[in-house]
Parts: sequence; C-alpha cells; structure tokens
Amino acid sequence: MLAEFTSPFDATAVRLLREAGADIIGKANCDEFGMGSLNKHSHHGPTINPFRPSSGQIEKRYPGGSSGGSAAAVAAGMCQVAIGTDTGGSVRLPASYCGISGLKPSYGLISRWGVVSYADSLDCVGVLAKEISDIRVTFGVLSTYDNRDPTSASPDMRSQSAEAIKSLLSKLEGNKDTKRPLDSLRIGVPQEFFPSELSPTIINPIRSVIRSLRAQGATIVPVSLPSTSYALSSYYVLASAEASSNLARYDGLHVRPPPGSDITKTSRNYALSRTKGFGPEVKRRILLGTYALTADAFDNYFLQAQRVRQLIRNDFNRIFSLPNFYFTDPSTITVSQEQEKSREDQIDVLIHPSAIRTAPRIDDTADKNDGDESDLDSYVQDVLTVPASLAGIPALSVPVPERYLDPKGDGWPIGVSVVGQWGSDELVMRVGEAIERLNDSPSGNNVV
Amino acid sequence: MLTLRCCLRRRNLLDARYFRLFHDARSHEPVKADPRWPGWQVVIGIETHAQIKSTHKLFSQSSCHTRHSHSHSPNTEVSLFDAAFPGTLPRLNPICVDLALRTSLALQCSIQAQSSFDRKHYFYSDLPSGYQITQQYVPLAKNGTLHISQPDGSRTPIRIKQVQLEQDTAKSTFVPYKRESWIDLNRAGTGLMEIVSEADLRSPEEAAEYVLALQAILRAVGSSDGNMEDGSLRCDVNVSINPTGGPTGSGTRCEIKNLNSVKFMTAAIRHEIQRQSAILVSSPDARIEQETRGFNEDTFETFRLRSKEDAPDYRYMPDPNLGVLRLSKDRIEHVRSTLPELPWQTRKRLEEVYKLSERDIDVLLGIDSGREVQFDGEKARGAVKYFEVAVEGQGLVPHGKPLDPKVVMDWIQKLGGLLAKENIPFRSNPITAEQLGELVYLLQTDAITPTSARRLLRHMVKDPTTAKTSFVAKEGDYYTFSSSLDRNSTSAVSQETSDKDPLTVLCEKVVAERSEEVGKYRKGQKNVLNVIVGAVMKESKGRVDGKKARLILQQLMEES
Repeated sequence: MLAEFTSPFDATAVRLLREAGADIIGKANCDEFGMGSLNKHSHHGPTINPFRPSSGQIEKRYPGGSSGGSAAAVAAGMCQVAIGTDTGGSVRLPASYCGISGLKPSYGLISRWGVVSYADSLDCVGVLAKEISDIRVTFGVLSTYDNRDPTSASPDMRSQSAEAIKSLLSKLEGNKDTKRPLDSLRIGVPQEFFPSELSPTIINPIRSVIRSLRAQGATIVPVSLPSTSYALSSYYVLASAEASSNLARYDGLHVRPPPGSDITKTSRNYALSRTKGFGPEVKRRILLGTYALTADAFDNYFLQAQRVRQLIRNDFNRIFSLPNFYFTDPSTITVSQEQEKSREDQIDVLIHPSAIRTAPRIDDTADKNDGDESDLDSYVQDVLTVPASLAGIPALSVPVPERYLDPKGDGWPIGVSVVGQWGSDELVMRVGEAIERLNDSPSGNNVV
Repeated sequence: MLTLRCCLRRRNLLDARYFRLFHDARSHEPVKADPRWPGWQVVIGIETHAQIKSTHKLFSQSSCHTRHSHSHSPNTEVSLFDAAFPGTLPRLNPICVDLALRTSLALQCSIQAQSSFDRKHYFYSDLPSGYQITQQYVPLAKNGTLHISQPDGSRTPIRIKQVQLEQDTAKSTFVPYKRESWIDLNRAGTGLMEIVSEADLRSPEEAAEYVLALQAILRAVGSSDGNMEDGSLRCDVNVSINPTGGPTGSGTRCEIKNLNSVKFMTAAIRHEIQRQSAILVSSPDARIEQETRGFNEDTFETFRLRSKEDAPDYRYMPDPNLGVLRLSKDRIEHVRSTLPELPWQTRKRLEEVYKLSERDIDVLLGIDSGREVQFDGEKARGAVKYFEVAVEGQGLVPHGKPLDPKVVMDWIQKLGGLLAKENIPFRSNPITAEQLGELVYLLQTDAITPTSARRLLRHMVKDPTTAKTSFVAKEGDYYTFSSSLDRNSTSAVSQETSDKDPLTVLCEKVVAERSEEVGKYRKGQKNVLNVIVGAVMKESKGRVDGKKARLILQQLMEES
C-alpha cells in the first residue's frame, strides 16, 4: 500500500537519534503494518533468522515479528542497535527468537509521532541490541516528552515515577559489588505465564535463570494474574478494531490509485485499492476489527475487550509495589488503599518466558500456508507478550544464557522477559543485566 | 463511564423506545392551532454545526483564518495531520475547548468534568483519515436552555440536549463539465461545535427564532461567526407531526440535512409538514417512514436521501490518542468569569444606561452581525464598544458630561451609510470612535454645522487620518463662520480677531455682489431673502448658521 510513499517528515524517534549522532544505516523488513508474529507477512518476503546454533546445523527459521528485520540486523551484527515498534510483542518476540535483547518501554515514554499507527493505544517504539547497555543509551536518548504525541507521558509523570523508584535503584546500586547484588529485590513469577502450550525445553532454562537470580539475593514470589487468560482475545479485538480505524486512511484516493482503478466512482476505487493494496493478514485484521466495531458487536466485543483490559491493568497494579503514574484514575486510587498493600504480597518485577517456543522453521508453516489453523497458531505466539502491552508497562526480553539451555531442546535461543510497573524501565534493564551477567559467571548458582 | 456508554448507545439504536420516553417540556402550554395545518401538532428539534472561530484547527496547527477570505487558494492551509499522513497524531487546541465552553455556559449547560473523543467512521473523499473525531459517548456539555422570543414578546425556553466538539470535513466541489470532484482540505479539521436542541420547537417560525437566538449568542461570545450563508453555521432539522390532542412527539420524525439559510430552513419545515400530513390523511394505515431528507433550493421541496435501513453504521470507537478530556473547576470558572456580555444583557444595558430605542439597539447589534469578539475569543472593538467610546468623548468634556447618546447613534448610522457607499465593512472603518465622538462634540458646541459635519466625515472616510477631528476641521476649513451673535464664541477657536466678525464680512460680500436681489428685497419682495441666504450658504460651503446669516443680512439690507 505504501510502496511508493516516502514520508515528508522524520519521526521524533529518528530525529532524536540523528541529533544524538546516530548513524541510520537503513530501514528493516517488518510485517505489513506491524501485523504478524513471524515476519512472514511482509511485502518483501520473510527475513531469515541469522542465528546459527552451536550444532552448526543450517536451517531457515523466522526471526519473529513484526520487527523481525530489526532483530535480525542486530543479531547478524549489521548494526549495534535497532528500533522497532511493539504493539503486542513485535520487539520482544523477534529478540527472543534471534537471541538478542529487546525492550518495549512503558507506554508513552517514547514519542509515537511519525510511527505508522497500527493500534494507537498499544503501539510503542522499542529498542533492540545485543547488550542491554546499548539499549539503555538509546532509550535514554528517545525517552523524552514530545508535545506532538498526545499520549506522551508528561514531565510530571516521568519525575513522579522516577522519584518513586529511586530508593530501590539506589539500594541495588549499593549492593552491586556484594555477593548478593539483588538483595532487597522482589521478583514475581506469574503462574499464568507458564501455560500448557509451553514446552518443557523452555521451562527448564527459565527455572535455572530464576534460581540464579535467587542466588544473587532476589526474593522469588509466586504470584497470580488471573485475567491473563483473557488477554490474547482482548488484545486481538482491540488491536484489530484500532487497526481497522487507523488503516481507513489508505483508501487509494490520497495516495495514487492502483492501475486499472475506475476513478469515475469512488467506491470502486476504494474497493480495488484496498483489495489490491493490503496483504491477506492485514485484510483479515481489518475485517475482524470492522466487525468488532459494528453497532451489533460493539458491546460484546469492543467494550468487553476494554473491560478485560482494565482487569489486566488492575491485576498488575495489585501486585506491583509501585503505583502506576500513567494510567491513574485519580478517583479510584487513594493513599489509604496504597498503604493497605503490604510489602509481603508485592513485587518489583515479574519474570516469565518471552515466547512459548523457539523460532519456527520457515518451511514449517509455509507448507500449510493460508490455513486458518496456522494463523491461529501464530496468534498464540503472542500470548505471553500481550499482557504487558495491554497494561502499557515495560517489558524486556533477554536471551537465556546458552549454557542454561535444555540439552533436549533444539539449541535455538530462548528469551526471558522482565516486566515492571509503568516507568520502571531502568529497573527492568538492571534486572536484565543481572541475567546478562549469568553468561560470565562460572556456575549458575554461584555468581558475582 | 462504561455503563453510561452502553445507555447512550442503546438509546441511539432503539429509536422507538426513545420516542416512547419523549418528554414534552411544553405540556403546560395549550397547543396552538395553526390554520396552515389544522389538526396537527408540529414537533421540531434542531442540530446545528457551528464553526469555531479559532486561529488554528481543532487538532492541528494549521490556520483556519483563510476560510474567511475568498481570495485564498485551495489546499494551502493543510498540515500533515489534516491530510491524514501516516504517523501523524492529533493535538487538541485548548482555545477551541474554551470557545466551546463559552458557548455551553452561555447556553446554561452543565459542563462535563470529563468528556471523551470518539471516531466516527465512513469512507468519503472529503474525509482523508476515514473517520471524523467527535464526542459521541460523552459530550462536552449537556442540559442547557436557550430562550426564544415569541411574537407577543414573551420568551419560551428551549432545552439544549448537548454541545459537543468535532472536526469539520474537507470541502468537495463537483465540476460537472469535467466530471471531476475537487477536494479542498483547507476546511478539513476545523473545529465545530455540534449543538443539539431537544424537540421543543413547535413551528417553522419558532425554529427560525431558535437559530437567530443561537446566532446572536455565538457571535456575542465570539465562539463562531454563525453565518449560514458562508457555512459557518449549518442546520439539520428533525420534524415530526402528530394529531393535535394526541401524545406530543408520537409521530415518526424525518431529518432534513444541510439547510444553509433561515429562509430555506423554514421553507423546508413547511414543506415537510405538508408532505407528512398529506401522507397521514391519505389512508388510515399510512405511516411516515423514518428517513433522512435533503432540500431542493429551486423547488422549495424536501426529497429523500436515505431511509433508516440504509443508515450507515459509523462504527464509533473511543479515540485511543485523545482519551479523556478532563476540565478542572478552575478552568471552567475562568471561562465563566471572562464570558463576554450576552445579547440580552447588552440590550438591557444599552436601554438602561443610554436610553437607546429598541430600533437603535437593533441597528447597533446588527452592525457587522454583532461581532464584538475576534479570533480565539480575543476582545475586539465591535459596534457596541465603538458607540460607548464615542459617547464617552474622552478628553473633550472634562467634567464627565458625556455626549448625547442619541446624537452619537445618529452619526454612527450616518457613518454606516457613508461606509456602505464606499463598500467598506464596519470592522475596517477608518474613523476611530474618538474621532466620531469629537465630531459630535464639535457639532453640539456649534463649532460646525450638520452640513459641514457630514462633509467632514465624508472627507475623513475617503482620506483616513489619525489626527484629531478638530485638527482636520481646522486644516480643511470646516468651522462655522463665527459671528457677534454667538453666545459662546470660544467654540469657534480658529477665528482671528478683526473689527468685524467673519460672518458679517461674508454677508457684506454677498450683499455687495447681489445688488439685483438686494434691490428687490428693499422694494418689499421679502421672499428674496431666502435666495440671498442660500447664496451665503453656498459661498461658505454650508459653514454658516442659516438663522444667524438671515439676521445679519436683514440688518445689512435694512440699514442702508
């Protein structure tokens, strides 16, 4: 649809990177309008995952989607850092499949001005890199208030949440060189994020990571986020509904109509432009979203999905020790309620697998392409990433150290996600670095 | 909020139930029989769209100024957002909100502390993004009142259901000979206020009164120009009829869209009443079909646009970018406390303070359509303010005795006539209120005559100056010839001292020149005096007091 379109302006994110001296080497492949979990639905064809397992076996696998091109470029060493957008996991999933780190920041921290909207209420600009230190530098440049984005977090919100998290960060800083660097950190393990679809070759390495974090002094708390099971359905209703609205502008009138258009009748021009211009996955989501917004379906689909989204936010707000400074409805949260929460039930970050599997083979799904089952299959890949998107909270996928991988597995990378309260992006990166450091230590249970 | 949304939604969907719940706010009044449609009661509700008079559009920084000048070229005031470029996002213009708040407060609405923006989806070539941002579920303000005047002078309250903010669309022009549609995005994204009345109006004339009263309010608070002709005010009218004595509002309504003058609106309502009553009397089973209708400005008839079944599903969705609009009490109070004077308040003041007649007030409020406020709600010097400054006569009357308001009013009207002749709108009037005030002062102190005052004013309109009126009068020799008969000769400041006063000198000159007429006069033809006075007038270019000239001439001719 936008093959011949060149935007006349730079996105705020691009402008900030350029101003900070970054060298922008190119645009990366991604699923059309960010819709896809594999990088399969690209106009240019799929990107091939550049990872090579230690077995040396060469096979074509997907890099994950939608920002698969960005992840692959980083994994292949073409660039130090890449940015991508994450609506339901589009940065974290490719990071996990390609064996690199990917941060979906808190919603509203990085300006969306210049980001082609898929679902405005979920879209986030994310950062991918091999090293979290590179993500931190890049995120630091990008995370700034922009009055061109009406959802940009105000300087007030930013300073409030920075203030709230300050003491925990300085404690961790103080512990840095001790034997228990994560002392005073409470990590929650949400039971709902270990669904039946999850293969044992994923669970075991994640367990090892959690054990190592405990060995570094972190308190591990099993927690429950009961609304998680509805998250995927809620996500697909809301994201598709917003997509059907956002993509209405691609009508073939304001960009050049496709050849053969009947320009004497606008409706025919719309039909042809949108039929020819969009790929099958985009059309599917537009139709789903259009249905969800029709007068007959609105209550049961869109409003229901919004209610579920609120339940999911409430779940997270209940377990996090910090308050949410962005999605605060002043009428519902009072100080006394905040005080009632006892430290015992609360956690600072959550940890869970980033994906239910390793990167899928390209021929795997290509064979039974276009069947409905395979598409539903690919939707399920987002099941672990969409809750953080719906809640607008930061989530970082970090590769599990190679030596923790299950010998029975396929040798491809597994990502572990660290999720925090809105605004605790720095905390999430600190915990991510603790996982990163597990690579260096001689034994998993006895670390720095 | 969710429950509220559901309620609103159901109400929109189930029109039948909505009508069963019809509340007749005027049930205490006797139903007036109308000889034009005996046996029928007419029920009318009006939805108006008023363009917000702001410098910038509702969600972008591009200007909406140009829509007022006809010289602008199309597609020049378009931001990337207005053209729906990918990656652009809306930014709410707080001035549009404040102007809509002014309107809502003037309409005595209750302001919603939280309102929200929603997207209304449809494909049309004048809608680049494929949706219009509006306030479907929670409008800015609700439950207001607007009073309309009745022929007997009484005032009837009409309930305002809601006021909401929304975007205007682009303008499309069909060029038949080329079979092309041209799109001008200059209008796209301009702020609109949708003001919805309850179905409290009972005749085409009441509908007209409603629109006029609304126009006056919009102009007084400066939130819109409210011109139907240039599209800054547009009306959709809902009309239903029911048998007199039957339940009010029990008829099926039809909506007539896009009426762009009060005259067309009343004509459309009249036609619609006749059409509906003709259907209903044609057979006992006949029913009115709920539909949307247009109005043909050539035949003065309404025609069907689409039936209820064809009504599009707009797939309303809360706008994910704009979220909830929260208005603090302070902000609402600030708007309330700075609300410009409303039309009836101005009337009352002009009547009580200046004792102006109703006719004079109408004239004053009608100048430049009563615009006292500029873009973005900035105060301007409208005609009322102009009048008040002129009457004050600053610096002229040290002891606070203002000029005669009626004389000032008289001269504002004369000025209006001069401006009209020169095709100058009042807002570009080159005469300042101070200058006009001084003109009236000179006149009231007999320093100039009405004739030369008129000439002086014409001169100042044609050749504008910032100088004081007295200065221009002196330079251009407009002052009245003073005479020894003047009781207050200080007013004629420019006179040199000489043996004889200038008027006498002039009269002597004329008497010397007109020996023939003087001879006739002396022979008893007293009527010839008028001719001689006329000659003096002519010679002085109207700068003499006729009565004084007459006295001096009589003396001169009878002396010798």
